[in-house]
Amino acid sequence: MEREFAVKAKGVIKSYDNSRALDGIDLEVRSGQVLGLIGPNGAGKSTFLQAVLGLLNTEGELEVLGLDPRKERHKLLQKVCSITDVAVLPKWMTVEQVLQYVDGVHPRFNLEKARSILSLTDIKNHSKIKTLSRGLVVQLHLSIVMAIDAELLVLDEPTLGLDLVYRKEFYSQLIEDYYDGNKTILISTHQVEEIEGVLSEAIFMNQGRIVMKDSIEAINERFLELRPNQDSLERARSLNPIHVRKELGREVFLFEDIEIDKLSGLGEVRPPVIADLFMAIMERTKLEGQQ
Amino acid sequence: MKTLATLIRRELQEHKVGFIYAPFIVTCVLSLMIISVYFGLTDIQTPEFSLTTEIYEDEQALEWMATADSNQITSVIRSGLVVLALPIILTVAIAILAFSLSTFADERKDRTLIFWRSLPVSDLTTVMSKILLITLILPLIVLPNIILLHLISLLSASIFFATNDIVPFGWIWNAYSFTDWFRIIFILWTQSLWSLPLVAWLMFAGAFAKRPIMGALVPIAVVVVLEGVILKTNYVLAFIEDRLGFWTSGLPEQNEDLRVVDVSDIYLMFLTQDFWIGITLSALLIGGIVYFRSKNNDYSSE
Repeated sequence: MEREFAVKAKGVIKSYDNSRALDGIDLEVRSGQVLGLIGPNGAGKSTFLQAVLGLLNTEGELEVLGLDPRKERHKLLQKVCSITDVAVLPKWMTVEQVLQYVDGVHPRFNLEKARSILSLTDIKNHSKIKTLSRGLVVQLHLSIVMAIDAELLVLDEPTLGLDLVYRKEFYSQLIEDYYDGNKTILISTHQVEEIEGVLSEAIFMNQGRIVMKDSIEAINERFLELRPNQDSLERARSLNPIHVRKELGREVFLFEDIEIDKLSGLGEVRPPVIADLFMAIMERTKLEGQQ
Repeated sequence: MKTLATLIRRELQEHKVGFIYAPFIVTCVLSLMIISVYFGLTDIQTPEFSLTTEIYEDEQALEWMATADSNQITSVIRSGLVVLALPIILTVAIAILAFSLSTFADERKDRTLIFWRSLPVSDLTTVMSKILLITLILPLIVLPNIILLHLISLLSASIFFATNDIVPFGWIWNAYSFTDWFRIIFILWTQSLWSLPLVAWLMFAGAFAKRPIMGALVPIAVVVVLEGVILKTNYVLAFIEDRLGFWTSGLPEQNEDLRVVDVSDIYLMFLTQDFWIGITLSALLIGGIVYFRSKNNDYSSE
């Protein structure tokens, strides 16, 4: 039976001394989604992903693939894979030793598939991990993950520190070769523009809270960006944009829940890129907080 | 079972220098020394230890060799071989102590812990794989080295005796019992269980302390001093000394004269309170290691 939700969170709280890294997270992630967690440092993205992986004790209700990650972590990890920026593959091992190790401990790992994926890369099986560049190590990690028949993949800043070529390759490989529509992927990253094309849903987080959650389709319908003609500036302003920013000396207006017909004669209209929308929502949230 | 075997193989791959190469190198060096001595290339004589063929010039020794019965010969051979094998056991013991102290500290320090914990292996399974490696597998790895040393020693001695007309070539081989190999492995297993509290304590220190050496030594030093000052006793220090030594010291007093223990004597150890105190303490420490390892989630700053 297919599961409707991969992740269900209700009132999830994680407290540290006097602060809350997670402040009442309510979230339902449908199976098969590629969900991006977007937010500044300290927003709680990594904390939430750690909770999903059962690495942290939290208050509230949290269910991942029908399991309680805190109590059934071992069972959960048979269905969940993860790559985090801080996870380090053991440097003393050779590539083949890592593959053999994962094959020995993971019931859903396909050794031949991993070897076949690696054969398309510059990574040699006899190479020691300490001799590989960071980019190749991440590629190796991704190859291992891709050979695991997991239901949920958690990526926490997986491409941090990589150059542009590797970052692009990482996401294109992830979506083209790994994502099959059934797997659920949770991605947290600062490089929003790079994952924008792969997301089906986005969550904006700040100070341990979710400030916005929607599908990319709905976001594109709900928000529109207008680059008005010089003579339409006042008309655009009168339509109550939720945010105005400057781009190469031109003002760019962001509208929420507005009919496209009202904007189409005023200039260039298109859905906003996630990074710009994120900045606008964060500013609005900040202003609302001040009021 | 496959998971456990994989974990143990991983440990052996990571620590092959200490657990595989080092004892083998020591075995080779000892073998070369013995061959050199019996072939008249060198003599080893120190205040504590001597390995020389000079003793076979002594009339009394030669007479004893000619008249001794099989049991006497076996006993002397066993004692000699035990002493010869000590450097191998000592080498592995040092490797075990270093491993125990660093294994949980290193995975935290180099952050491989996060990779290990991203795979479906419970903390208990990981910890038990390390305990099984030390108590069960390492004795099995040490054994072939000891056997090799035995065979080279006995072969060198046999050739020396035969070529010098001291005793016939088969004199030693008739007295050497090949079932001793089983005896040795059981003795090594018992030794590893006897010393397990120390190993578990070092692992525990590595799991909870940022500086494992300090974490291992400071609490012990504090307890020893407090015990001495308040209770005027030294049970803790005596316990540590006992567990650093051979397990035969834990045998009941009436068996203290057992110089070379047999497999059948090992059950005596299992009847002692001391043995079970050590096992219970080890179990508690293992629980602590699992707890601290599961709490080590030092991820990004968020």
